[in-house]
Amino acid sequence: MAFTIQATGPTGELLERSAQLDALGEAFASAREDGRGRLVLISGEAGVGKSALMRAFCEDRAESVRVLWGACDSLFTPRPLGPFVDVAALTGGALDEVVHRDAKPYDVAGALIRELGARAPTILVLDDLHWADEATLDVLTLLGRRIDGVDSTVVVAAYRDDELDVGHPLRVVVGELARAEGTSRLLVEPLSPKGVAVLAEFMGVEARELYRRTEGNPFYVTEVLGAGGEAIPPTIRDAVLARAGRLSLHARRLLEAAAIVPTGCEHWLLEQLEPEEMGHLTECLASGVLADDGMTVRFRHELAQLALEETIGPRRRLLLHRAALDALSKRPERELDPARIAHHAEGAGDVEAVLRFAPLAGDRAASAGAHREAAGQYGRALRFAESLSDVARAELFERRSYECYLTDESSEAIEAISSALDLYRSAGDRLNEGKALRWLSYILWCPGRTEESRRAGWEAVQLLEPLPPGRELAMAYSNLAHLYLAACRGGEGVKWAQRALELARSVGDVETEAHALASIGIVEFDAGGKEKIEESLELADRAGFGEQAARAFDLLAEVPVETRAHDEARRYLDQGIEYCSIRGIELLRLYLLANRARLELQEGRWEEAADTASAVIRIPRTSTSPRITTLSVLARVRARRGDPEVMELLDEASLLAERTDELPRLGAVAIARAEAFWLAGDHEAVLDSTSAAFELSKELRTPWFCGELACWRRRAGAEEPVPLKVAKPYALEIESQWEQAATLWSSLGSPYEAALALAHSDEPAALRHALEQLNGMGARPAAAIVARKLRERGERSLPRGPRPATRENAAGLTTRQQEVLALMAQGLRNAEIAERLVVSQKTVDHHVSAILRKLLVRTRGEAAARAFELGLLAQDR
Amino acid sequence: MPRYLVERAFHDGWDAGGDLTEVCRQILERNRDEVTWLHSYVSDDCKRLVCVYEAPSPEAIRRSAARNNLPVESITSVRVLDPYHLKR
Repeated sequence: MAFTIQATGPTGELLERSAQLDALGEAFASAREDGRGRLVLISGEAGVGKSALMRAFCEDRAESVRVLWGACDSLFTPRPLGPFVDVAALTGGALDEVVHRDAKPYDVAGALIRELGARAPTILVLDDLHWADEATLDVLTLLGRRIDGVDSTVVVAAYRDDELDVGHPLRVVVGELARAEGTSRLLVEPLSPKGVAVLAEFMGVEARELYRRTEGNPFYVTEVLGAGGEAIPPTIRDAVLARAGRLSLHARRLLEAAAIVPTGCEHWLLEQLEPEEMGHLTECLASGVLADDGMTVRFRHELAQLALEETIGPRRRLLLHRAALDALSKRPERELDPARIAHHAEGAGDVEAVLRFAPLAGDRAASAGAHREAAGQYGRALRFAESLSDVARAELFERRSYECYLTDESSEAIEAISSALDLYRSAGDRLNEGKALRWLSYILWCPGRTEESRRAGWEAVQLLEPLPPGRELAMAYSNLAHLYLAACRGGEGVKWAQRALELARSVGDVETEAHALASIGIVEFDAGGKEKIEESLELADRAGFGEQAARAFDLLAEVPVETRAHDEARRYLDQGIEYCSIRGIELLRLYLLANRARLELQEGRWEEAADTASAVIRIPRTSTSPRITTLSVLARVRARRGDPEVMELLDEASLLAERTDELPRLGAVAIARAEAFWLAGDHEAVLDSTSAAFELSKELRTPWFCGELACWRRRAGAEEPVPLKVAKPYALEIESQWEQAATLWSSLGSPYEAALALAHSDEPAALRHALEQLNGMGARPAAAIVARKLRERGERSLPRGPRPATRENAAGLTTRQQEVLALMAQGLRNAEIAERLVVSQKTVDHHVSAILRKLLVRTRGEAAARAFELGLLAQDR
Repeated sequence: MPRYLVERAFHDGWDAGGDLTEVCRQILERNRDEVTWLHSYVSDDCKRLVCVYEAPSPEAIRRSAARNNLPVESITSVRVLDPYHLKR
């Protein structure tokens, strides 16, 4: 929407933008050269000239390549997929078809990628992303993740960074994309004093004062120059108004009419708003305040539109909105845009129109995956809903709750469903009351409000059981099963899941069937349960229940992670993360990533574990489970390397975990604390921080938790009975069979655990071996403990710690990347490497491109050569 | 931005391995997006280096060390105490 700001020099080229233009040109040139797409994220303050920059970039190339341009609107609740609707209008074809049939972001991204690939080379511009609706951001994320597979395309995406508060969803997207392959960032900065001086001189204004006032903001500068007065207006707003103030009264009335239409105002609409003044359009255009593309007039910049809109009196504003509402709602059926109409309906205070169009706009946004916008539309309807029946309002609250949950507005979601619940209750609608209670129970569980969640879950079952059995009851049963499983109470969990399964099958509810089946599977994992989860996965995937399929992947990985069946765990995690990534199933993706971080920690891949954990922690979701897991993993990596800021992480995790009252949460934090305290030599604190979780793990008979907790307590000097049923490697340690334990740990692929087991031996040879291992891993605190133990036994000439500047890390490669590099150097293809390392080929692809980037080379051959040069590979391999 | 003290040990003494200005420039370039190297103290025998960094996390310090092929002995989270500019 931000139209060209003419901060051009006397010869017409953009001032002080040649470096940025070069960077864009380079990105596009390399995309064309190697056939891998690039994404450039452009940021800068409002009015700094991002659109102008992109326009200049496109204009230089418009003759030889295809340019697609889409922009987001500044509506209070923007149209879902706004920029892609614009783009689809240009491309037509499958993309156009997809964006008009309420498709999911996943489908839109797919169609877009196919479209881009089919007619390369292409420049795709996405403007004003700070206003993007959620579906647009999802499409952008999916596009960004796959950009290096899109042939000869550059995607240029611009947003205002001065308008993004901490919780803005675009921040998360940019944060993730900026780390992705093929993405770069470009900052557009205000003009320098010198640049302002060029313009000032050109227009005959005092340069220093102009710079001081405008701080080099090109839009402000051009507004001041356009107003042409003696004095410089003190704010952008004043400059805009000063410029508009030079227009005739008639032209100003026309400007005001255009200002209340946020998306740009079509000629026919403007004519209906101000029929008398249409003759003055030329004057508005000539002044440069408005621009016209033949169909629609727009403000040259949104800053100007806002400034003008604020000056309209309340009465006139109401009348203008009413006229717009009237005009827009009389359009032919096919052109009706409920989001636009609802906006003006609210401005006109027209209750009936708001209640008719806002829910419609909400439904449309929801089915396109623009959940934040949908929640906004339902909220808008509810503000006007006093006249509706209780049940009708309850339904709106219910829909709003679901959309808020999907956007992780957890407290909003809970509030909305509680309101719905009260209304159903007072209307005596017991079926819907029970259904709402089941939902409340689930969304209370996500942020860790376990106690309340259980209460609501039970109430739902009690309320629904006397009613004729149906889908609602099946879901309530399955929810109870889930709550038991989350607390490691598998026996009760299976009972409820069985009931859910039978009922779901008898009423033909596939989603609940898949949910219940997976719940049963996790409990009976080794006794045929795994096959049940796989069946659930297939069932859910086939019926299009992506969330349930993703949950099945997570459960399939969870048991092998816990039992240290690392290869199997890695396979399911790779598949599951890929499944979620391409479909935009964000919450479950975090669960899977959290399990991957655990796996990497257990495998001694600390670099990777810290990276994965940090990626999850950076995303501010309120779902507690993945957060607690990853805070604990990162804390343990730091503790093992002797790095600072361990307890800060664990204090946060502990606060979250205590409220959940669930062993997996409490246990993860207790174990991480125990490890950190043990490394710091504070044995009493080890015992204190583990006692509650240890008791709970004994009560619940969980062999791995129980074993690990018992082990830490023994290491800290506890002499206490240990239950018989603990996992094998811990059982060996508890029996002081250090060497056997170490051998078992090694064969399970956990080198740190192996070294720690040896570290408890009394044999100097075993201790020396442990010391060597720990030094090799950079585990300083543990190495120091072992070294002290050796010295106390009179041992001399101990190795002095890790070799300086560990060679194997010379180019900043992770251990996994070194393995991949070694195999690459042997001439293996990616598929062969994947097989050898038991990972997916996609994962290998990612490692290979990261290796090329880190070694600053372009081909596999060059990588091998460079690796030998740097001494990254042993010569004799 | 948190500040960290990074201790580095060189058993055979540190050798920049080239023109110091150029070596430092390269390090700054490689650190550009992630951490800020404020300054360092080098012991007379060149066996110990104490560096002060601003960084978002200890992991960022380690990544920067790996990128520049520098060892890390320990990382400590610190605050500044400046005796000449204490606020009353």
